[in-house]
Amino acid sequence: MTATMTTSTKTARRGEHGKDHRPTRRRAGPAPVARGVWPLMLPAVIVTGFLVILPVLYTVWLSVSDRRPDGSNSGFVGWANFSRMLDDPLFWNSVRVTLFLFVVCLVVETLLGLALGYLLSIDVPGRRIFQGLMLIPAITASVAVALVWLLIYDPSLGAANQILDAVGIDPVVWLGDPNIAPWSIAIVDIWQWTPFMALIIAAGIRSLPSDPFEAASIDGASNWRKARHVGLPLLMPVISVAVLLRTVDLVRFFDTVYVMTQGGPVNSTNTLNVYGYRTAFIDQQASYAAALQLSLLVLVVAIAGLFTWWRRRQTIEY
Amino acid sequence: MSTRKTVISCAVVAGALVLPACGSPSDAMSEGEGGEGSVTLVMSNHPFQRGIEPLIPEFEEETGIQVDVQTFAEQQARDKIQLNLQSKSSAMDVFMTLPSREGPLFATSGYYEPLDDYISGAPSEYDADDFSRGAIDGMKVDGTTYAVPVNVEGPVLYYRTDLFDEWGLTPPETLTELLDTAAEIADRDPGITPITLRGAAAALPFTFGTFVHGNGVEFTDDQGAPNFDEPGAVEAIDQYATLARESGPPGVINYSFTESSTLFAQGKAAMMLESSNELNSVADPGSSTVTEHIGIVPVPAGSAGPAPTVLSWGLAMSPHSENKEAAWQFLEWATSPETQLALTEADIAPPRASVAEDPAYTDTLDTPTQQAWREAVADLQENGNVEVGPVGSNAPAMRQVIGDAVGKVILGEATPEDAAAEIQSGLEPLLADG
Repeated sequence: MTATMTTSTKTARRGEHGKDHRPTRRRAGPAPVARGVWPLMLPAVIVTGFLVILPVLYTVWLSVSDRRPDGSNSGFVGWANFSRMLDDPLFWNSVRVTLFLFVVCLVVETLLGLALGYLLSIDVPGRRIFQGLMLIPAITASVAVALVWLLIYDPSLGAANQILDAVGIDPVVWLGDPNIAPWSIAIVDIWQWTPFMALIIAAGIRSLPSDPFEAASIDGASNWRKARHVGLPLLMPVISVAVLLRTVDLVRFFDTVYVMTQGGPVNSTNTLNVYGYRTAFIDQQASYAAALQLSLLVLVVAIAGLFTWWRRRQTIEY
Repeated sequence: MSTRKTVISCAVVAGALVLPACGSPSDAMSEGEGGEGSVTLVMSNHPFQRGIEPLIPEFEEETGIQVDVQTFAEQQARDKIQLNLQSKSSAMDVFMTLPSREGPLFATSGYYEPLDDYISGAPSEYDADDFSRGAIDGMKVDGTTYAVPVNVEGPVLYYRTDLFDEWGLTPPETLTELLDTAAEIADRDPGITPITLRGAAAALPFTFGTFVHGNGVEFTDDQGAPNFDEPGAVEAIDQYATLARESGPPGVINYSFTESSTLFAQGKAAMMLESSNELNSVADPGSSTVTEHIGIVPVPAGSAGPAPTVLSWGLAMSPHSENKEAAWQFLEWATSPETQLALTEADIAPPRASVAEDPAYTDTLDTPTQQAWREAVADLQENGNVEVGPVGSNAPAMRQVIGDAVGKVILGEATPEDAAAEIQSGLEPLLADG
């Protein structure tokens, strides 16, 4: 991911310096592996095999068998868990909740991140300190963040309603109304992860070449047109990496919900990951939970694949 | 040659990296800390846990057995306990359990060490027959004892004596009176929450159960089929949901015992429908502003008469423990008459009849609050229905079904009739499954 990003940025730059005026479609492949080095990769391959591939294979087995809470397994049951899933209204509800949080958080975080990232890219005194402070939400454990927000959202004693009260707005039941709770959870995620987006984007903006902007000025482009038609396309590789990172996290949304609502009220914040957890650990149905989690895996891979495909197209055009 | 050497050394390094990853981290931990004479105990955050922890050093001194205590919030404790049991880990020897909820599930899954032989082998001072019938029967599944009871608790109604005196109100005796009283409190002082009670799906059935029984409904019939098609069930849902919606705190749908106790202890609620166990949380002068003004009465009666429910927490032994003798020694000590008497100082209602009547205990209950509490607990013990929720190995999932359906009525998203139908059809497959 990162490798492709640097390559494309380099490609863009090279183009500006006149050595190669056409954006290239050639993508640098991995360097040939020096002879005798491959055994050095063996530990990584073996560890990955044990820690990633085996659990996934076991999950696949669980999902097509019937594991009982006592650890016994009554064997292959075919697609039973998956057909149950397709008939399960709670499953479809959790897919809807997952996609809602994914879309709302991603759109808001990207737009706010762009605006904030632009501000951060301007050299003003104290910028570095501010930049450091902005990292705090992203490096704080989500559980701690969720606990603090629980206090803020408390309907009678919390800061959120006191602020609303001070400006004359009626108190809001942040986590107690199925129509509001998903938005309240989204606000927490946006608060926590927008600065991270902004920092990546700010770094991207600072590394942009100045020549294309100068050229556009000479051609008489307005600031808006420069930003829209020169800056944004050049930034696209950076933005898409940031978006991809957030996508993978957002689709498997868990910790904030687990601490704040456990999926409630009446399942309005029950993301696919929380539902899978509840099925496995509260209802003790490991096989059905495995099927749910596999559907989550498919969802993550599908969305990430879509983004990667889209990003490649974007990168090639510039 | 050199390549082959590299391959071999890499494989060794890789193996060394991978092997520790196979054992669970908790296994490694218990090897480091324990030995023959140590017991690892997993408890959930509960008045019993807060009461017993300070007493454990006495046990360690007496027996030389070291006790490693791990405490988590209720659901996290369950996760931890179930992970240990599912993975057949020896890292946990003793755990707190709620047999009324998870007894059949755990028993059929082989999560409990049967305790009958240990109990019959205990010295005569232990006096196992001293446990009240309801408490010890609650620890049994199909006649086998799987845990020893550590307390007795059930829903009771807490109310603010100062406010009731000021407004000339009397504590409600029926559910209809309860709804009227709550409405009247709202008229007197819009600034106070008339009643705080459970709304969170998994926690709600515990207090909601008294409404079901009070309206003459059992959770299941003789054939083990759900009974929510009876008119009393609709009435129970309507009463509970109306109370929560009209007179409960904002955000009641997320409330469990911690939220209710906090609100009541801060003087922001006039009544509280909660477990008798919460006395310590709401009366502790360190955290409560209403210590002097707490009244307690049994849960108001429904159309079919008073119907309290009662349950006991128990201590159980892991069948995968490698220190079963030491684990039993701990269980025996924790549920002995002496320890249970000591626990009453932390407001733990004793499951032993001898302790409940011991003047060394009853004489210490000298405030009006404590006396009212003792009467309410005695009522629970005598008349309490042990069917806190529908019984079966799917009990946790069944409680979620009930909690979700009643929750929708609290939020005004469904009618009581819809909810009763939803519970009926939701429970059918779960009950049929075992």
